[in-house]
Amino acid sequence: MLCIICITCVLVSSLQRHGQCLSELCDLAQSPSSPSALVRLLQYYSGWAQLRDSLIPDWTPRGKCCTTVIVKLVVSDDCSLYSLMLKVLPALAMGNAVVAIPGVGTAPPVLLLAQLFVEAGLPAGVLNVVTGSVLSLGSKVAQNPHVSYVTYSGNKKDGEILCRATAGMGVPVSLSLSLGATCPFIIFESADIDSAVDGVIETAFKKNRECQWMLCVQESVWDSVVARLKVRMAGMKSVPLLAEGDRKLVDAAVQEAQQQGATPLLHLCGDPIPGPLLPLLSFRSHGEGVTLGNHSPHGQAASLWTEDLTLALEAAKSLSVGAVWVNSHSVMDPSLPLSGHKESGNCIDGGKEGLFQFLRPSSLPPLPRSSPASVDYSTFGTAASAAIIPEGSNSSSTPRSYLQYVGGKQCKSESGSSVCVLAPGGTVLAYCPDGGRKDVRNAVEAAIKVQPGWMKKSPVARAQSLFSLAETLELKRRDMAVSLHSQTGLSLEKADMEVELSIAQLCDWAARCDKERGGVPSVPQSGSALSIPEALGVVGVVLPDSSPLLSMVSLLAAAVAMGNAVIMVPSPKYPLPALEFIQVLQSSDLPGGVVSIITGGRDQLTQALANHSVIKAIWYWGSMEGCQFLQHTCASPLKSLWLHCQEKDGVRDWAQPHASLQEEMWRQAVQWKSVWIPTA
Amino acid sequence: MSARNPGMPLDLEWVSKVRVNTQAVLKRAQQIQGRNKNKKQWQAAWLLRAVTCIDLTTLAGDDTPGNVHRLCMKATQPVRYDLLKSMDMQDKGVTTAAVCVYPSRVADAVKSLKAANSSLPVASVATGFPAGQTSLKTRLEEVRMAVEDGAMEIDIVINRTLALTGQWEAMYEEVCQFREACGETHMKSILAIGELGTYTNVYKASLVAMMAGSDFIKTSTGKESVNATYPVAIVMVRAIRDYFLKTGHKVGFKPAGGIRTAKESLVWLTLMKEELGDEWLSPHLFRLGASSLLADIERQIYHHVTGCYAAYHQMPMA
Repeated sequence: MLCIICITCVLVSSLQRHGQCLSELCDLAQSPSSPSALVRLLQYYSGWAQLRDSLIPDWTPRGKCCTTVIVKLVVSDDCSLYSLMLKVLPALAMGNAVVAIPGVGTAPPVLLLAQLFVEAGLPAGVLNVVTGSVLSLGSKVAQNPHVSYVTYSGNKKDGEILCRATAGMGVPVSLSLSLGATCPFIIFESADIDSAVDGVIETAFKKNRECQWMLCVQESVWDSVVARLKVRMAGMKSVPLLAEGDRKLVDAAVQEAQQQGATPLLHLCGDPIPGPLLPLLSFRSHGEGVTLGNHSPHGQAASLWTEDLTLALEAAKSLSVGAVWVNSHSVMDPSLPLSGHKESGNCIDGGKEGLFQFLRPSSLPPLPRSSPASVDYSTFGTAASAAIIPEGSNSSSTPRSYLQYVGGKQCKSESGSSVCVLAPGGTVLAYCPDGGRKDVRNAVEAAIKVQPGWMKKSPVARAQSLFSLAETLELKRRDMAVSLHSQTGLSLEKADMEVELSIAQLCDWAARCDKERGGVPSVPQSGSALSIPEALGVVGVVLPDSSPLLSMVSLLAAAVAMGNAVIMVPSPKYPLPALEFIQVLQSSDLPGGVVSIITGGRDQLTQALANHSVIKAIWYWGSMEGCQFLQHTCASPLKSLWLHCQEKDGVRDWAQPHASLQEEMWRQAVQWKSVWIPTA
Repeated sequence: MSARNPGMPLDLEWVSKVRVNTQAVLKRAQQIQGRNKNKKQWQAAWLLRAVTCIDLTTLAGDDTPGNVHRLCMKATQPVRYDLLKSMDMQDKGVTTAAVCVYPSRVADAVKSLKAANSSLPVASVATGFPAGQTSLKTRLEEVRMAVEDGAMEIDIVINRTLALTGQWEAMYEEVCQFREACGETHMKSILAIGELGTYTNVYKASLVAMMAGSDFIKTSTGKESVNATYPVAIVMVRAIRDYFLKTGHKVGFKPAGGIRTAKESLVWLTLMKEELGDEWLSPHLFRLGASSLLADIERQIYHHVTGCYAAYHQMPMA
């Protein structure tokens, strides 16, 4: 971990010397970037490199052990140099070696930058640039056993292809799909109309714009806005299209619009049109404006214009995007985190929050690699469970039948069938429901009704619920210990220990509800910035075999404390502790639907979770094939994945909740939103 | 020449809905400053246009008939004849737009211009310039006397007390009375933006002044701590555009105070072109209130024609 400060200082001055050359290269390659933005990136991340050990202790670069560490990043052809460096620099700052695979547009400038890096003193091999066809290279390089993390920035199609190609390699892949996202530009009636129109003209008709803007105007000021737009557009010079091929798309879209009466296009499905077109929509009330803004599969950014403080903050909270710019647009700074919500990505870049994708908790060993097995994705998880044939053994000890927990109520599975639960000796201990797609569907429906309210509740209220859960668990301590003992064969003392630790975890997360908070990044431009952690939504969790009670309680507490709803799938080997826990859930004051527990075949339920578009994230402990399946299918629609392969993983010690492990869980349970408000 | 702004009844609702975002306006001002990149003969052309828009001003305590006479002469021949000849512009009638003086010097200015056979209008400041803190009766009387003396344009100052306390009806009434006293004479309303507080207030005051029938709105007297800056100009010009879009009447704009260099004059012209359009780039809708600006423009023109930088004493004094 050499003195990266020295390197970056030298680099900054050499960038300033070669700035002209760099910007000319960028222009030639059709991806303009300003050297000052790059300099700012460098300065920001050199600061983090310096402070890494003191501000982020207990985290090490991904995969660091005796072999080399590599973080690979792939960028699509039309991505900008800034986006590429936004990933390269934090990876380097956190001590990783990087292999960058730039797209056609950024290859020449990146090669120049890499050369400048080496001249500035970066050791050979730390930063590598491989040029070529992005997609084929992407999967080839990922096959190398030294690569421990892949991150992609660019458009959705190629991102999906990359995910599918790298499925099963045991490498976490994160996507930032900022290109081609539709971003709402909302003008409320309380806005400074002239400034808002200036903003639209500035950003919507640029040649190289990263997102497609959609203009939403409140009805009461519709005439004002349109009149001013006409005046400005009459004076504008024509805007060049990025490629001739786009011209046909633009013409087609204009024709379609004229056929529909040249009034606002009300359906904006499909790929946004590349070209200087600006769709215009009107809305009546504030709520409708926000709904209009949210009505798109993308969740990259939004610009809203109003002088009303309360409205600005409320709308910023309700827009499901990663960045909200109030009375401004396209403010990019490395200290302001940029994350994609919904289909726009599953990772966060920039700020302190964006550093953690390149780190792992020091107490965990690096994730093991594997090679993709041949998995038939269409048949994965479709095998029916073995039928239960009743044995004609003594009727005095008929195994108990348990119910699963969906939508706050105990119920049988939709299919009506059950699976056996075996004791360590092999005897049938109990029967539990054989859950499937329909159960997952019901659970999600119940969850989605209740989760927004749960998320909006004050953190203190959530903390109270979790504390009540801990109290109830305390009361049922004996029963839980006995269940654990009979299910897993642990001694009664150890089982009791596990229950005690579970109670401790619940209290820990209850306390964290209102202590974990976002930040106030300091951005060079004058204004106020906020970085807010928000709940993801509905999270699917497939629980590990080890420590069945403790792992379940830890994960449940982490997700629920941050405002999510969870659907838990207990391990098929040891489901009883979870099923006993249902009693605890019922007697607590946790709203029904926030937690659902569905038992059954792991693969079947994994497949059901993966296929439900409402589920935002999946935390999986299971087989290699399961991990591969999830990586393959969860690219579209996009989900955040946190995968562990039980066979090869160094087993996580749930009993030792290290601070960094708790932090890792917290960061998996939230998504981030930045709000920027320029002021004097 | 388009029709004069007849004014309209005061629309308080329109005024109350005004919203201005300061940061966005500052950002736009920054942008506009980088726009005009004209060089060589095109820059010279823009500079000559700027000259024709200047209201050559002298508003000092020690003005005498002598320096007013010199000013009038400079106004009729703002750029040296030989420089104009080398640009083939000597017979295009390149004069400044007007001459601006205190009320007591109006008669002298009119006399000097008549002697030089010039049709240049004389503009007079009035209504208790610069502070406006005198009784309405004397302010109205000033206007009438200046008109009698032969002023063709009157620059009035609005009552900032009324504007700051939001008494828009009272302010509207006063300006209407000034307009009436002006009669056929063109009226420019000086908002004195340095004393109006916020940009929102500047916008509102602009609207009210236009509704009361101003032919021009002017940024400042030149005597405040803050005079004509680009952000405030953007706000006022947007108000002009707003008024035009709503009523169809065109009102002119005059920045005054602190405009000293030729480069600045080019930025002002660019601002007008970007925000309002080409029609606002001529003296009947745009004036630059300046005194030493002309000297700098002349030096730039000298440089364009000869290729050398002139010393100040090489140009005829204003």
